[in-house]
Amino acid sequence: MSLSFACWNQAPLLPEAMTDLAADMITFSSVQKWFGQYHALADFSAEVKRGEVVVVCGPSGSGKSTLLRTVNRLEEIQGGAITFDGQDIHAKGIDLNHFRGRIGFVFQQFNLFPHLSVAQNIMLAPRRVSKVSERVARERACALLERVGLSNKVDAYPGQLSGGQQQRVAIARALAMSPPVMLFDEPTSALDPELVGEVLAVMKSLAADGMTMVCVTHEMAFAREVADRVWFMDHGRLVEIGSPEAFFSNPQTPRAQKFLTDLRVR
Amino acid sequence: MLDVLLGSWQFFLIGQYPNGPVGGLALTIALSVLGLVLSFPFSILIALARTSPMAIFRVPALVLVYAVRGIPLIMLIFWAYFVVPLIVGRAVPGFTTMVCTLVVYESVYLSDVIRAGIQALPAGQTEAARSLGLSYLRTVWYVIMPQALYNMVPGMVSQFVSIIKETSLASVISVHELTYSANQINASLLTKPLQVYLILALTYFVLCFALSSLARYLENRVTRKRNVTLVRLLEPGATAA
Amino acid sequence: MSFDLSAVVAGAYSSRLLDGLQITLWLTGVSWLLAYALGTVLAVAYMANNRIVRGMVFVYVEFHRNVPLLVLILLWYFGVFTLAPGWLASWTNGPGSEFRASAFAIGLCMAAYVAEDIRSGVRSLPVGQNEAARALGLSYLQSATWVILPQAVRIAIPLLVNRAIIFFKGSALAMTVGVAELTYVTREIENATFRTFEAYLIATGIYVAISLLIMAVGAMIEHRFAIGSR
Repeated sequence: MSLSFACWNQAPLLPEAMTDLAADMITFSSVQKWFGQYHALADFSAEVKRGEVVVVCGPSGSGKSTLLRTVNRLEEIQGGAITFDGQDIHAKGIDLNHFRGRIGFVFQQFNLFPHLSVAQNIMLAPRRVSKVSERVARERACALLERVGLSNKVDAYPGQLSGGQQQRVAIARALAMSPPVMLFDEPTSALDPELVGEVLAVMKSLAADGMTMVCVTHEMAFAREVADRVWFMDHGRLVEIGSPEAFFSNPQTPRAQKFLTDLRVR
Repeated sequence: MLDVLLGSWQFFLIGQYPNGPVGGLALTIALSVLGLVLSFPFSILIALARTSPMAIFRVPALVLVYAVRGIPLIMLIFWAYFVVPLIVGRAVPGFTTMVCTLVVYESVYLSDVIRAGIQALPAGQTEAARSLGLSYLRTVWYVIMPQALYNMVPGMVSQFVSIIKETSLASVISVHELTYSANQINASLLTKPLQVYLILALTYFVLCFALSSLARYLENRVTRKRNVTLVRLLEPGATAA
Repeated sequence: MSFDLSAVVAGAYSSRLLDGLQITLWLTGVSWLLAYALGTVLAVAYMANNRIVRGMVFVYVEFHRNVPLLVLILLWYFGVFTLAPGWLASWTNGPGSEFRASAFAIGLCMAAYVAEDIRSGVRSLPVGQNEAARALGLSYLQSATWVILPQAVRIAIPLLVNRAIIFFKGSALAMTVGVAELTYVTREIENATFRTFEAYLIATGIYVAISLLIMAVGAMIEHRFAIGSR
């Protein structure tokens, strides 16, 4: 496609006012998740406040990704409840696709659609789920690409982009449905070290704009700088909650202490 | 359907034997086995010619492969019906005609299975053998073929299923195999075509589905064994066992 | 008798050949359409998380993959069409019924293979593709339509082209129930002229040429729709 629309439209990134601004955005109450015999989430309870940035950390296999994937029901749960914006997301008979559109999800492996251009990737959900017109969807895609610093890649294909660029497109794609919350599942783990910074920069600017975010990440510098709270998980349990300063300088539990020591050694 | 089956199961299975020539399912299986066994050596030659570095082998093999792939099997049967007697100088039975056709047709399709098996091997195998001083033919015989053949077993079983299905075309030149038997039964009963042809289809289905399932099972085993070997090689401190 | 191609294309014979070719192409076209449409539906149905639907698709696919095409044609023509109820009889027993039965048999059989080819394309996609689509709020059918199938079909193009050639050749089997397609008229001309070699040569040439054409077009399509290279 040679003709590109002008990218003038600065779309609002945050949705219109919520009904109940004081309510929690996401709550987990006694969530149980089993993979066969394996107890992936054990009696997990916590909540994410509106506008809060939560960083989830813990050793591999501790259930961080699983936790994130239960929020938009990519994984089913076997006990407890999860609410999103006051709505039980695991209830039977809800319009799941409607809620999924309102929960931005960024994958470790980007999962861009390789047969669609960058703009088409971003436009897909607005066009097919929200039935937005092609023109409006494209303008918004352009605005989002400018937001993540990729206005010159509108008509490129994912295969032509670096990993860092692909992940930024994936973030723009998730933002296209104007979700009130963004979930990041190890967004920088699949990237070469020199490409990590550009993705974290986008995430920081989102946080600065007041986006509610839950990030599973091993980037402790990012956690220190951006997080409001850190959740430390081990063996499917929430072991420790604290502010980043408290958690990093003075972890309370032996497991968290060991985890942080191992990180520094590495 | 049951009465048709009860009335003519023997004819379905072995034709008029022992009062006449063997036919039915028995002949279908005989045709298929002969077709597979006889086309096997030719298919190896074609596969080697196609993977050969020399154009003088590669080009004719390629022409043969593309020609046979473009001709309907039934057309090839008519060709054989016409050409084979000219070559041997006397009339030949339909059974022989069908076997000749299958050998030509299946050599080409089977050669693809074998070529895939050869090309699935890492190039390092050939290079290692050649650098040990083995000739091209020795490399193929001692190093490539033993490994490739193992990988090919599932593909060969699937190809055998194809051959069984292809033998049904022998009925067109009056070979008394399974499909021909069904036509005869249908012609004598006249009023039960659906039952007769359903029994026919189900007979093929039972035989071919069993073999396809076997192919699937073998495929899984070959893949798993290859992966296990890989894991063993990658494990730290693994010894060559 | 010397080699003489003109003997089999002289006068009425050449128009007979062309008629036969035309029927071969019609038969192929109709059965392809049926196969691609039904095959896609079967593949999508198999992707659904429903054991009953999956089981039904499995039985359909395995039945058609493990029964000879010739037998399927005989089953449809002699077994099903002749027994159709009265109101259908003019369609199933009247003129052209052998063409319709053959088209059905070939198309339904090919659909099983098309479904299997597309499914193997689907299997080769990372699960993250479907997860990403669903996480964006796309429904199962939307994900299949806009994300999974476009990629799976592209991956399956080489398989689908091979399949197209095999079933183009398979159309020759319709001669066994009396469809006057290319192989059928070739036999007629051979019987009338005794020019076996020439008659077969022409028919074979046409079959090989069309098969090569399908391969070439397939390669073009594959190149044109290669992912990420537009």
